Amino acid sequence: MTKNLAPIDRIGRVVLGVVAAFSLLLLVAPSLIVVAISFEPRGFIAFPPSGFSLRWYEHVFANRQLTDSVVVSLWVSLAVAGITLALGVPAAFASVRGTFAGKAAANAFLLAPQMMPGMVIGIASLFFGAYFAFRASNAMLILALSVFCLPFVIRIAMARLAGLDPRLDEASANLGAGKLETFVRVTLPQLGPALVAAAAFTFIEAFDNVTVALFTSDVRGRPLPVELYYLVQYDSTPAIAAISALEIGLSFAIMLVLARTVGLERLGR
Amino acid sequence: MSSAPLLRRILHGRGIWPAVPALAYLFVFLALPMLTLLAFGFVTIDRGRIVADTWTLGYLEAALADDLVWRLMWRSFWVAAVSSVLTLLLAYPVAYLFAEAKGIWRTLILVAVVSPLLTSALVRAYAWIVILGGRRGLVNQTLLSLGLIEQPLRILNTDWAVLIGMTQIHLPFMILPLLAVLAERDRRLEEASLNLGASQTGTFFRVVVPMSVPAIFAGLALVFAVSYTNFIVPQLLGGGSYSTLAVQVYEQTIVVLDWTRGAVLATILLSTCFAFVLAIVAFGNRLARWNESAA
Repeated sequence: MTKNLAPIDRIGRVVLGVVAAFSLLLLVAPSLIVVAISFEPRGFIAFPPSGFSLRWYEHVFANRQLTDSVVVSLWVSLAVAGITLALGVPAAFASVRGTFAGKAAANAFLLAPQMMPGMVIGIASLFFGAYFAFRASNAMLILALSVFCLPFVIRIAMARLAGLDPRLDEASANLGAGKLETFVRVTLPQLGPALVAAAAFTFIEAFDNVTVALFTSDVRGRPLPVELYYLVQYDSTPAIAAISALEIGLSFAIMLVLARTVGLERLGR
Repeated sequence: MSSAPLLRRILHGRGIWPAVPALAYLFVFLALPMLTLLAFGFVTIDRGRIVADTWTLGYLEAALADDLVWRLMWRSFWVAAVSSVLTLLLAYPVAYLFAEAKGIWRTLILVAVVSPLLTSALVRAYAWIVILGGRRGLVNQTLLSLGLIEQPLRILNTDWAVLIGMTQIHLPFMILPLLAVLAERDRRLEEASLNLGASQTGTFFRVVVPMSVPAIFAGLALVFAVSYTNFIVPQLLGGGSYSTLAVQVYEQTIVVLDWTRGAVLATILLSTCFAFVLAIVAFGNRLARWNESAA
């Protein structure tokens, strides 16, 4: 079928292939360039780097303000992943299996944060807190980021739950297991991979997020993205490339775990 | 009352109970803050507190009468519109290729598409500063050494840099919905079209593309929304004096600390964003219906 292509088809195929190759290059090249630059031995950025050194990594690890911000970000992300799982997974159960009145409205409200830009959630939280005399703080950041990330967890859990066979639960009940036992030994194990994916995705999102964080985070003890934002705005030393490369490395490690446990194709949906 | 029946009801009932904590959380930490944001645009704010008896439509009217607001809104709009269309043109071939690809190629394409999602937008904006910036920038270095240009091009701190950055950063959002639809499509229609003598290119434009119209417009709406409200990319790649409506919202709230103005502009940003997105979705639905009636 593809052997004797009409000229227009051949041109069409070539155009399609060239554009696709360009897009794929566009997707991965910037990250690769950042990683390459981070090994620059000199004091300014250049590509390709003039040599290989880990000097900027040492610089990053010696910078107390940066390492502190990494620790803050790790705690914030863990807290956000915990809160969103605790709230989101039960909510997904009601969304998929529930048969209550007003279910459509409840589902729409549960997914509403995904229609809000991070900036709007950040500003709204800042103003709401200020109304009760709460200043921007990392506690506020955790609360606001949890709003922002909740739909990711709910959507991933909903997709998995909708694919479960309810007959397994029935079989478990028929064989004499109680409701709680069925939940713990039948339902939960099937959900496991989806929960891992949801937690990992939320963790990365919270760790990388700057749009919410700029408005809600503490002035002292800033999280990494905010620290990085001010650095990028006023400077472009290879140190930023080194931090970025570390972030990219962390994300890839998490993605590898995800690819093993759930498969990449499920992530986007 | 023992806790066992309650637990049972929560675990296996068909009721709303399991969703109540999440709904309550969103009511307190999303709905109420959004109302506060809206309200702050209509009152005088002093150190984060509403000054009593200062309710007025004046701030909103002043913003709507301000030329600058309209100019910034126009820039936000066209940058988001152009970048969404560019994203579509770049995304479609990738999604199509993915649908045709097999085995390891599929995995590689998928990794290329998903991996940028896992690196922060900040890191990618920084990458573009490195690539586009100044004489040492990658683009200028290459073009200068090839002798294609005599003087370094000024790309960073222009509309171009903002467009390039936005398009690249939002590309996965467009590819992913297309990928799902194109990979799972029913290929019998295409075979019928080819058997009836249509060319492959003709079949692509008359059968495959129309079939993916809903996904195309879902992607367009999403990319438009995230581009229209993005304030990081314009700030970092557009330079210090470059502004959009979203950048203004940030500056008024965080730099100028004029919260009333920030609230008014945020409200305008959000409501115009919703209006544009609804228009894109409505147009997409109309096109999909027109396709069906034409088929």
